[in-house]
Amino acid sequence: MMRAAMTVLLPLMLSACASNNAAITDGGSQLQIRQIQTREYDTLDKRDTLRSIIATLQDLGFVIDKADHELATVSATKLQDYQIRMTVTVRERDGERLAVRANARFNEQPIEDARAYQDFFAVLDKAMFLTLHKVD
Amino acid sequence: MHSAMPGRAIAFLAAVCILSACQTLPKDAFRLNETALETRKVQTREYEFIDDEAILSASMAVLQDMGYAIDEVEKELGVLSASKRADATNDFAAFGSIAADAVKCVITLGLGCTGDNYSEIDDIQDIRLTLVTRPQREHGDDVSVRITIQRIIWDKKGRISEQETINDQDVYVAFFDKLSTAVFLEQEGL
Repeated sequence: MMRAAMTVLLPLMLSACASNNAAITDGGSQLQIRQIQTREYDTLDKRDTLRSIIATLQDLGFVIDKADHELATVSATKLQDYQIRMTVTVRERDGERLAVRANARFNEQPIEDARAYQDFFAVLDKAMFLTLHKVD
Repeated sequence: MHSAMPGRAIAFLAAVCILSACQTLPKDAFRLNETALETRKVQTREYEFIDDEAILSASMAVLQDMGYAIDEVEKELGVLSASKRADATNDFAAFGSIAADAVKCVITLGLGCTGDNYSEIDDIQDIRLTLVTRPQREHGDDVSVRITIQRIIWDKKGRISEQETINDQDVYVAFFDKLSTAVFLEQEGL
């Protein structure tokens, strides 16, 4: 029984140790994830896009940790029984539209579920629609 | 003794699971809930005949009055983040836990004098707040201000006891009352 318990626990302990450094650079190579996390909008107005992103994050219950117009990035945190940290960046694409990329972590794990990003962009789409059509 | 091991191992794994990765992302984490519009109203107030820079400056003064440190200001986007650490102890809860610890200590004839109850009561809270200004399009000199507030409460042992977004309407009303006064002072150049 003792052995059985150790067989279960030992790999767990070892993997926990090994992942300390791996966590610094793991992830980051998956094109599919990048696609899931990105949506393009037909505008070149970075400021309005960033303001829409900030409003969307506030609507979703986030507090904005950092916002930078020049670097076109917004970081925010949502605290409930869980914690979500999210970073949204805006980049110009082909000189004619903006690509908005969002990536988030749920507690200690990266969120890779496509539905979560679909939900986020569905809310942002509405805010962007109002922004693009100059309605408040 | 041996037969207790698998049970313990399972309990240990379950504890690791609960504490770390096994909590799953709630389905509605990125969806607007039914109260989103109501919440937005509570967290937002509009100010007339003022630009967003003046609002930001009035807000900073109010936050400083309330003991907040300004962590971040981005004028271009009208975003201001501030935080403060405050006491979270509740005298009643503290008294109760000390009494419970004392009773446990006496009942166990001194063996259970661990002070567990006291170490689990709330100790300090880290409050974080974001204020976002947004100029209103139709009226060039109107600005809407929205604030969102969160806090993490730590217990006496330094563990997270609670983390939450503040939804109490009274908190927002109190904040905006102070901000309105500061905006008035700002407009009057005082």
